[in-house]
Amino acid sequence: MIIISPYSKQLINGKQNPKNYPFWKELLSLISEPVIQVGIEGEEQLTEDFRKDLTVIELRELINQCRIWVSCDSFFQHLAWQQKKMGVVLWSVSDPNIFGHPENINLLKDRNNLVQNQFLWWEFVEHKSEYFVSPQEVIKHLNWN
Amino acid sequence: MPKILCSVSTKGRYLTTLPLTIQAIINQTRPVDKLIVFDDNDNPEDMRNVLQYQHFFKMLDIHNIPWEWVFAEKKGQHHNHQKANLMGYDWVWRVDDDAIPKPTVLENLSKHIADDVGAIGGGILTPPLTFDSSKVTGLIENIDREPNIQWNYINEVKYVEHLHCSFLYRAGVADYNLKLSKVAHREETLFTYQLHKKGYHVMVVPNADTWHLKNPNGGIRSEPNQELYEQDERLFKNMLEYRHKNIVVLNCGMGDHVVFSEILPLIKNPEVFTCYPEIVPGKSIAEAQHLFGDIDQYNIYKKMDIWKWKESIGEAFRKLYL
Repeated sequence: MIIISPYSKQLINGKQNPKNYPFWKELLSLISEPVIQVGIEGEEQLTEDFRKDLTVIELRELINQCRIWVSCDSFFQHLAWQQKKMGVVLWSVSDPNIFGHPENINLLKDRNNLVQNQFLWWEFVEHKSEYFVSPQEVIKHLNWN
Repeated sequence: MPKILCSVSTKGRYLTTLPLTIQAIINQTRPVDKLIVFDDNDNPEDMRNVLQYQHFFKMLDIHNIPWEWVFAEKKGQHHNHQKANLMGYDWVWRVDDDAIPKPTVLENLSKHIADDVGAIGGGILTPPLTFDSSKVTGLIENIDREPNIQWNYINEVKYVEHLHCSFLYRAGVADYNLKLSKVAHREETLFTYQLHKKGYHVMVVPNADTWHLKNPNGGIRSEPNQELYEQDERLFKNMLEYRHKNIVVLNCGMGDHVVFSEILPLIKNPEVFTCYPEIVPGKSIAEAQHLFGDIDQYNIYKKMDIWKWKESIGEAFRKLYL
């Protein structure tokens, strides 16, 4: 079973978080094993099994059961790292050297896309689909264990 | 040789003690690497039109000492000193605008610069100079029971926990509490005690005396609102109450809490204030604000921005708390 955590925190201004991976549907169409989506109420459902608003304890238990997980740069990647369950993080404008964990597979398309100041609000950063790696690139890494 | 910025914050003393202070700074045997004057006057004037200041600026230019006159925000001298603290110099020599350092003060203070030293102060000669400073401890817990050790001649090097008035300090390590009112009561005590808490020596040294005859006009004493002093005193007392704890304030994201939780076991005697108690248990952020006023000094994102951080956020937490 694979867990996906597709979305980073919603922005106050209502715009799409620039850290949100834009190709989830395409990626999911390439995955043949069971997938559980985790997230919060209000996020778009991408899989049949969408578990919303789980507690931290419930999330930890679920992480322990998965084979691997895929996430954008969000809380989830830190929690899974702490559970010592490694996975794939899909980066765009935030810096995996600062916010990531080297134990994971950190897929960053181009460091030139990183925002210059990593420590300000993401509200003012535009979402750009072209900053993310393709689903085909992601799928190559999902058999990693 | 470390770069030393001299920072003076002034209010209401254009033509009384400030000229004495600036002249004394210019005449130091160890020249400062830059002089910055924060003008906090309610109605600032252009001192380039005043003869003695014209002379000062000319003397600074002749000595090749860069200088800057900043019309400040009138929020209090702690805001000005914090700006100086973050200007990228190795050390800052802060001098009150009614303090008159003897010519060798900076030279003798800077002789004590070392990797484990955070702040160095000399005597701040405040008459009547009648008490025996050798018996003064300089410990924060005795602050209300003894005179300040700097108020008389210093006869030997002594490690203390706080300094007052004018001193040399390691820049960019501790922060001034910007939630103090504009009178900034106890600001330098709080600041130097933070340096002590961060593990650096705070010390007083001989042969570095500054006259401090106290100007009854201008400065923070020009503010009559007693409530401001009481508000600042409350923050100071709260800090005293928690002095044996290592304060942790996690005003950051959920994932950051997870990363921090790996570092928490390494912190001795922590008192944690948290946004996500389900990840890192602790008291609320609102309580931290109420107790300590300024919690920006614990803002890990602000710190990483100031530090121009390139390493992991876990390492940033280590730098901040260990």
